[in-house]
Amino acid sequence: MDVGRPAAETMMSRASGLLHLWMSPRTLVLGLLAVGLVGVLAFATTREMSRAVTPVPAPPPVRPTRPALSPVEETFIQALRPIHGDVQRSLMRTSLGQILYKTNDLSRAELKTRMEQALVIYGRAETGLRALEPPASLRNDHEIYLTAVRLLRESAVEAMKMFNDGREEHLLAAYPKSQEASDKIREVGGKFWPSEFPPN
Amino acid sequence: MIQTLLRITTILALIALVGGLGRADVLRADDDRDGKRPPQTLPSGFESTDRLLRDVERAERAPLYSAWLVESSRFMDVPFGGFQPDKAGLNTTVNLPVNVGIIEGPDGKLTLYDSGWKQLAYIFDWNTSCCWKGIRDQMTAIGLDPAKVTRIVLGHAHWDHAGQLSEFPNAVIYIQKEELKQIDFFLHYPVDFNSGHIRAVNTVDPLTGAQVGPPEQACARTPVCGYPPQTVQEILGKVLSGKARIVDGRHEVAPGLVIHPAFRGHTYGSQLLQVNTARGQLVFGSDTYSSWTGIRDWLVAKIQQTDAVQQFLAYEKCYVLTSRLNSFNNCVAAHEPTAYTNAYPLTANWWNIPNGNCSRAAELILAPGKTTHVPASPNKTLCENRTKPPHTVSP
Repeated sequence: MDVGRPAAETMMSRASGLLHLWMSPRTLVLGLLAVGLVGVLAFATTREMSRAVTPVPAPPPVRPTRPALSPVEETFIQALRPIHGDVQRSLMRTSLGQILYKTNDLSRAELKTRMEQALVIYGRAETGLRALEPPASLRNDHEIYLTAVRLLRESAVEAMKMFNDGREEHLLAAYPKSQEASDKIREVGGKFWPSEFPPN
Repeated sequence: MIQTLLRITTILALIALVGGLGRADVLRADDDRDGKRPPQTLPSGFESTDRLLRDVERAERAPLYSAWLVESSRFMDVPFGGFQPDKAGLNTTVNLPVNVGIIEGPDGKLTLYDSGWKQLAYIFDWNTSCCWKGIRDQMTAIGLDPAKVTRIVLGHAHWDHAGQLSEFPNAVIYIQKEELKQIDFFLHYPVDFNSGHIRAVNTVDPLTGAQVGPPEQACARTPVCGYPPQTVQEILGKVLSGKARIVDGRHEVAPGLVIHPAFRGHTYGSQLLQVNTARGQLVFGSDTYSSWTGIRDWLVAKIQQTDAVQQFLAYEKCYVLTSRLNSFNNCVAAHEPTAYTNAYPLTANWWNIPNGNCSRAAELILAPGKTTHVPASPNKTLCENRTKPPHTVSP
């Protein structure tokens, strides 16, 4: 029995030493930190797993539909596209030009240059439109677009008078025609290129 | 003794010197002194938190306003990720209202924040839309007189927020100069290196006539897109008739009604509207605040012109302006999917607009002494009407 006593004492002494080490403030803090971290990790994992959503098939993208077109119709619309781009950009430049002129951010000379450029583009667009041969089904749309470009040209001519007599009232007088034209262009544009201006 | 005092003085002086030097080099995000603003910030687009808080103090001494929200239309079945990239993994769709704010002043005059849309062609073509109703009819149906609209503050000029302007010929619009200048800037962008992509009004390459970018992106990646000539024309009409205030940064519309710039929070010239009410400061944000949950959870909106950092700074403006009462609950979003439900508490007091084609209204707050516009038995049955309206040439 005595043989075992020193061994038992040694073991007790080691255990006490370990306990002392274990109980030291530094170890205690470190231990608590470790337990805390494990706890946070476990909580986060459980939460993430509980929040996981059941995958469902991806919804189809929101995209407008357009009735199927015949090859002739498609060709016509393709041919109209570059004209449409030019006309819209010119209209935007002259609209914003007038706004920025009124806010003194654009000079009269700069506005005049924009109007002159627009007149050239509207003239070119009108020529291009007349050269197109719309299928019977799209003849009305073609006519609407042609009318719109003519209105834009007339509006620009009216606005240009300001540079001769200096009267800004010409801009106001020119406005109804450009507004009507923009409505018509949007109408045809929305029909031919429904994804042109998606929701923002 | 003297030596000790000298040592202490020297140490204190050194600390003060180091502190002063350190301070001089610090670039503080909320410092509005020249040379101290964050990079890429226009002076007119920047407001320090101190200035915002001063606006709160000033507004609190101003009259109280009433406010409503109406749903101009609703985008249906939008992929969640297309609205908030962080939600793309959910693989679900959401329905997004297009909201217009109506604010009544102490004099009974009305201010609109955004004006919805009226381009019927869009609704016809975007046949996933629902519930459109003209704003004048909506106002009449909820007991507000559209003839009393004297101001329209445009949060930004995209077509779904700046339509119907000609419906209010006597109203003055408020728009940021930066909003207009940026469209003009990009319209004139060189085409040498980008095939015209940057300056494309639409999806058409100005040089080749070809589709720009993948079709599913449409024009969403081009800065000019979102502004059809028709919408810009309507703004021009207001300018030419003397009914436009082109503002540059912060602008007090009336006591308790303040415009705050949120440049690049959605578009280059986006603007917020602070409104003094009995529930604290409301902050209308248009698409800069596209989603209220986005503000609450700090989620960025989908990529267009939006600069994520600027959008977060605009969220922060709402947190500052509403810091005295209700915090982010007073931020008013344009497309919040949970709008007109209890989940978006500000809009919980909602009802279907009578004969409103399923569009909804919410009474946000009333000024003291004002009578409610909520019907005694409000119809709260959610409905959808996807019938295509007439396809006409009207704007």
